[in-house]
This record gives sequence, structure tokens and C-alpha cells, in this order.
Amino acid sequence: MTPIGAGRALFWKNLTAGVNGIGPVESFDTSAFPVHLGAEVKDFDPSGNEKLGRGSQLAVAAARMALDDSGIDVTARDRSRIGVSMGTTSGEPGMIERYNDARKADGVQSVPVDILPKYPCNVVPSNIAIEFDLHGPCLMIPTACAAGNYAIGYGFDVIRSGRTDLMLAGGADPFSRITYMGFARLGAIAPERCQPFDKNRKGMVPGEGAAVLVLEPLDAAVARGATIYAEVLGYGVSCDSHHMTAAHPQGDGAIRAMAMALKESGRSADEVDYISAHGTGTPTNDRVEAIAVRTLFGDRASHVPMSSIKSMIGHTMGAASAIEAVACSLAIHTGVIPPTMNFEEPDEGSDLDYVPNEARRTDPRIVLNNAYAFGGNNASLCLARLQ
Amino acid sequence: MSARVVVTGAGVISSIGAGVEEFERNLYAGCSGIGPSPLLGETAVAAEVRNFNPQPWLGNKGIRVLDRSARLLCVAAQMALSSTGLQQQEGGEGDPNLGLVCGTMFGSVHSITSFDWSGVTDGPAYVNPMEFPNTVINSPAGQAAIKHKLRGVNSTISAGLVSGLYAIHYAAEFLMFGRATALLAGGVEELCEESFLSFRKVGVISERGCPQPFGADRDGTVLGEGSALWMLETADSARARGATALLEISGFGAAHDAHNIQAFSVRADGATSAIRQALADAAIAPEAIGCVIAGASGSRAGDEMEAHALRNVFGPRLEQIPVCAPKAAFGEALGASGALCALTAGLALGKRAIPPTAGFHSAQNGLRLSAGPQNIEGDYALVNCFGCDGNNAALVLKGLN
Repeated sequence: MTPIGAGRALFWKNLTAGVNGIGPVESFDTSAFPVHLGAEVKDFDPSGNEKLGRGSQLAVAAARMALDDSGIDVTARDRSRIGVSMGTTSGEPGMIERYNDARKADGVQSVPVDILPKYPCNVVPSNIAIEFDLHGPCLMIPTACAAGNYAIGYGFDVIRSGRTDLMLAGGADPFSRITYMGFARLGAIAPERCQPFDKNRKGMVPGEGAAVLVLEPLDAAVARGATIYAEVLGYGVSCDSHHMTAAHPQGDGAIRAMAMALKESGRSADEVDYISAHGTGTPTNDRVEAIAVRTLFGDRASHVPMSSIKSMIGHTMGAASAIEAVACSLAIHTGVIPPTMNFEEPDEGSDLDYVPNEARRTDPRIVLNNAYAFGGNNASLCLARLQ
Repeated sequence: MSARVVVTGAGVISSIGAGVEEFERNLYAGCSGIGPSPLLGETAVAAEVRNFNPQPWLGNKGIRVLDRSARLLCVAAQMALSSTGLQQQEGGEGDPNLGLVCGTMFGSVHSITSFDWSGVTDGPAYVNPMEFPNTVINSPAGQAAIKHKLRGVNSTISAGLVSGLYAIHYAAEFLMFGRATALLAGGVEELCEESFLSFRKVGVISERGCPQPFGADRDGTVLGEGSALWMLETADSARARGATALLEISGFGAAHDAHNIQAFSVRADGATSAIRQALADAAIAPEAIGCVIAGASGSRAGDEMEAHALRNVFGPRLEQIPVCAPKAAFGEALGASGALCALTAGLALGKRAIPPTAGFHSAQNGLRLSAGPQNIEGDYALVNCFGCDGNNAALVLKGLN
């Protein structure tokens, strides 16, 4: 579920065509803001789930598409062995917005009874479990904008440790006035377009979306003749322990997360064929990520294609790295890597390959998916073509 | 994946005490932290950390920007780190293999609501940008990492009322996969008007202001708050640095009832399955369990479901197993509950006696609760945590003394 389309096929078609999903915010009035751009999921019909918060609606829709795409009939499975692991930045912030709107209008007594109980972010994976009658482990990992990678990592872990046979893992975040106010007040939102890594980049664009990946043990996937988009080799996480919102200036945590992911995967930096950048489009984040990649990859850095799909779909918060993990998997599966759109001029002295403005047919086998977040959280996921 | 994970230290702040010693003393004396809650207003009853002042543990530097959750978590982390000699040096770089896994349910909801409220009432141009970082759900964990120089994994886990147990399980898996050598793991929850209102509006708060876990006349839950963290390490790394292993994380089980987002499943299928999985994960039979730390909080449906699950697993032997429902003392501390209950189980295994259930006078279902401490036999304790969103978790611990 993304600002450029719902479903694997449409998302991938639009992503590799450089379609823009960013436009004026429609879900609330931005006239009191200095900026107006957002990346919203349009034409989404949550029929049947009207009572759920938008975060849950997006997540349940993505989970349904993922299960359909996998060809797995969960009703024929031991459902105590199927779990849900999701990531998010804000969970169901719309419930807090409705709570505040209601008490501003008519006082706290007027707040409907069912709003606040739908706020805690664990309702999102629980709603997936309820929708598909899944009885395994079920949790939310709200590690902000790196959350999708954390959630996929947890799914990977509990399959490897034999606790589950199948995991629905990903991330979801609805468009939120709270998030928008915060980034707007920090001056972090781009006024006209999102230009990751471009010298004249002016910020990020808040977005919304959800992505769910179906993870299963390799043997089981092979045995049932599944389409295997990618293999999860490993992941790495770290904390900058430096500042709540600003990345470590030398990219300390980002480097350690990538290095840990590669080490766990039994791979070296020399083998990486593509990096899906966190690349939000803010001056500092992109600079630090470039420093981190340059430091870890050394002389080879300029030969590793690295793109940011946030140039098209904005920053979908906790869903971002899950959507990007889908993009990485499809890049591996199809041999095409998506571009960084709106890229015109590199930073002073930068020679990294940002795959500017056009998708590229290559043959990525080993891919790193980077994600960084408030709280100094860093997570890198290593995906590969099945050998 | 064969590494054993052990507990080498702990920190706790709750309505019944700050620090493991005070917590233990009050718990075993049958004290309850439940009473009038200045934080929630004149008439509200809760298990509040009264007159909370983080200064003795954290000093004054950098405290102002922390919200209540972050302060509670930072205090528990300070205690847990110092209890096992892993405090990071002031001005030092911090250990990249030392991290934090924090369970929470509502997270920073009060900060989020206040931030949005200021936007709604004063306009978006007037929100305080300094408060924005506190609006992400993982802000307490991020703040604790900065405060205590924790450079390893920094995860926040949200699974409703069972968040604390999931956090311990998540940290144990992380250690077993070799991604860290030492992890603080547990939970935090602050009392605030938003979470209180959420529970009060659906009618699950005790009108009498007195939870009676498993009691025939129970009329609901009383909310609590606090933070409890364990220091978890692999047995090998604890041994290598000469740290004493107090407990072993033997088994974890989790199951979702996939039934309703706001109701306990009366049949207790998920709860039963979670306990059975935890026993199987620990490779022990139900007979090896010496005591049960129950998640019961006075909830009419929730306590009944738990009793049902225990009966399913233990059969007629259930009447012989000492049970404690410590939420009678520290309240339903939501995302911190699992960690507070696990800490209670660890203390019980260490003393070979389970604490009293505060204010206990009678139990339904033949459960062996008591108003006084009860001696326990066997090396294993079961910790239950069952949530009203259908999520169930159970943890099996082994005493190592």
C-alpha cells in the first residue's frame, strides 16, 4: 500500500517508471503550515474494516495482498505456527488526533468510548492476526523510521529459531497531522519536491503506507514451489546513542548496522550489488549516510548503485523500510533497480552512484536495505538472490 | 542458537519501591502501592510512583527534556547497569555490544497528546520542536541509550499487556544469535490521563479501587506504573567477566487468540498454548514448575481465563502449586507488567519462597494464593501475561542458586 499504488505489480511498475506519489496534502488542511506536500495513499477503500484505525486498515490490506501473492492458504495450515511482526513510528496516531479534536470541541466527556483503546500500536498486528485467524507470536516493534527492518529481522529470527513456520512481517504508518506538525516545525519538510542526495535537497516529505512480506523457511518455500523473491541473509542494528533526532556526524551507528548485517550474512562489502538508501532528502541525513557508505565501502563506494525511493513515495515512516525491503526483493527478482528521482546535481566532492532519474537493468544479487530513525536507531537488512 | 541466557542484575522503580531491595521488602511484607493518585486527579486510585524524583539516580543533567516514561526507564536502567558493573564511563564512548530492549503499551502517549493539543489549540507554528522527539513511541528507549551510552540494539516492543515478556524473549533471542553480549530487557509504562481514560471508559477499572486477583468479588483492575529491567547476558559472557548468574531464561511461549481486539477469550486456548509452548521451550514437564506468578489483575474475564489456562496445563496438581498475583501490589502496569512479574518470579526463586498476594482473602478456582509468603519446591517458575487484545505470553525461569 503505497502513494504510487497498491499491490506488488502496480507498485513495481510505477517505481521503476519513476512515477511521483507526492502532492498537496488532502487528508487535513495545511493552510496554517508553511509547507503543503505529502505522500498519501489515494483511492483506498477499507470496506469491511471501517472500524479500524487507518494504520490497521493499511496493514490488513497489505497483509491480504501478501498472503494472496504467496499462494498460501492459511486455513490449511497450523495457525499456531503463523505469526505477525510489524513496525511503526506512530501506530494509530489518528486516535489521538480524534481524541484531541473531540475534547477541544465538546470536552473530555464527549470523547467516544472506543477511540483510546484503539490507540496502542499493538492493535495493528493484532488486527492482522484477527483478520486472518493467525495464532502465533504477534508484536509491534515501534522503532520509528527503522521499524520495518526491525520487524522483518524479528520474523527472520523466530523462523530460524524454529518458533514459527511462517511470518507476516513488515511495517505500517498512516498519514498523521502529529508527524506533519513535528517535521514542519523542525523545518525538515521539502517545499516543492523530494530530492535525496541532490546538492539542493531541501527536506523530506512525510508519507503513509504499509508493506508486508511473507517469510518462510527456504525448504518449505522450495517444497511448495513458491515464487521466491529473495532470501533474507541477515540483519544488523545499532544505536548512535548520540542525539534523539540528529544522526551521528560520522555515521557511527549506520556503519555498524551495515557491517553487522554483512557479517551475519557471511558477506563482505565487496559483494554488495545495490544499496536501498534511507535517503530521506534532508541535508544532514543524506550527507551522513553517504559518509557511512563511503567509510564502509572505501574505494568501491562509487561503484555500488544506491538509490532512494523516497524521492517518489516520500517517507512512509515505520512502513518505509518494509516497502523498501519489497523494492529490494523485486530488484533482486527482476534484475532492475529503481531510481533516485529529482536528482540533478551531486554534493560537492561526491561521486556515489545514486541511480539518477532512471531505473537501471543490472543483476543485483546481494542487496543492503538501510533504515535510520529517531532515537539514534539504525537497521540494515541483507537480502540476496537465492543461490 | 544453543547459547544459554542468564540474568545478572536488575533495576526497578514502582509504586512499592525503588530498587530491588525496597521492592522485595514491600512485596514480601504484603504491602500494596495502590492508593489515591495525585497524578490522575483527586478521585482516581492507582499504583503511582509517588513523589517521583529521578535526580538521586540520574543527576540533573539532561533530565528536563525527558518525559515521565523516559525518566522511569532511565532510573531502572541506571540501577540495573550499576547492579552488575556495566555502567558506562562518563565521557567514554559506550559499549557497542550493550543494548536495551524495552516493552511498552502506550509508550509516550501523554507527550504525543500534549504535542498535538498544542497544535490544535495554538496552531502548528507554535508547537515546541523540543517536544517532538518525545512523540515517537521509542523515545524512552532512545533517551536511555543516550543517557547511559548504550550503543547496541535499541528496540522497543509493543504487544499490549504482554509487552514486557516479549521484550525479555526478544532480547534473549538477540543474545542467542550473537548480536550483543549484554542487554537490558524489560518494560516501562507511565500513568497518565490518556491510558487511564482508555481503561475507565470501557469499564474495566475497579470501582472499589481494590483489585482482588482471582477473588470471587473482584470488580476490575487498578492501573499502575513503573519500570523493571533485567541485565541479560549469555552464560558464557557472564562467566567470562566473572558476573554471577542469578537466573536462566529457560523458555518462552506466545499465542494470539485472534478473536477480538478488546476481549479475553473465555476458552483460554491461546493462554494455554502459550504456557505449554514455554514449558516445551524449557524442555520441562508441568510437574517441574514450583510456582506461578500470575498476570491476574482483578479483571473479571481475564482472571477467569488465566485460571482456566492453569487448570488446562496443570490439572488437579494446580491446588498444590503456590501462586502469587503481584499486580495486587503494583497494579496493572501495562507494558511494564511482564517485566515486574518476571522480576517477582526471580526474587521468589532466589528466596525459595513466593511473595504474598497483597490484600488476599479468598480465591475462586482452588488456586493456592496466600496473604503470606509460601515456600516453593523446584527450580522453575512460570510467569504469565495475558492481554485483552488476545495476545498471550508465558515465560519459564530457572533459579541458579
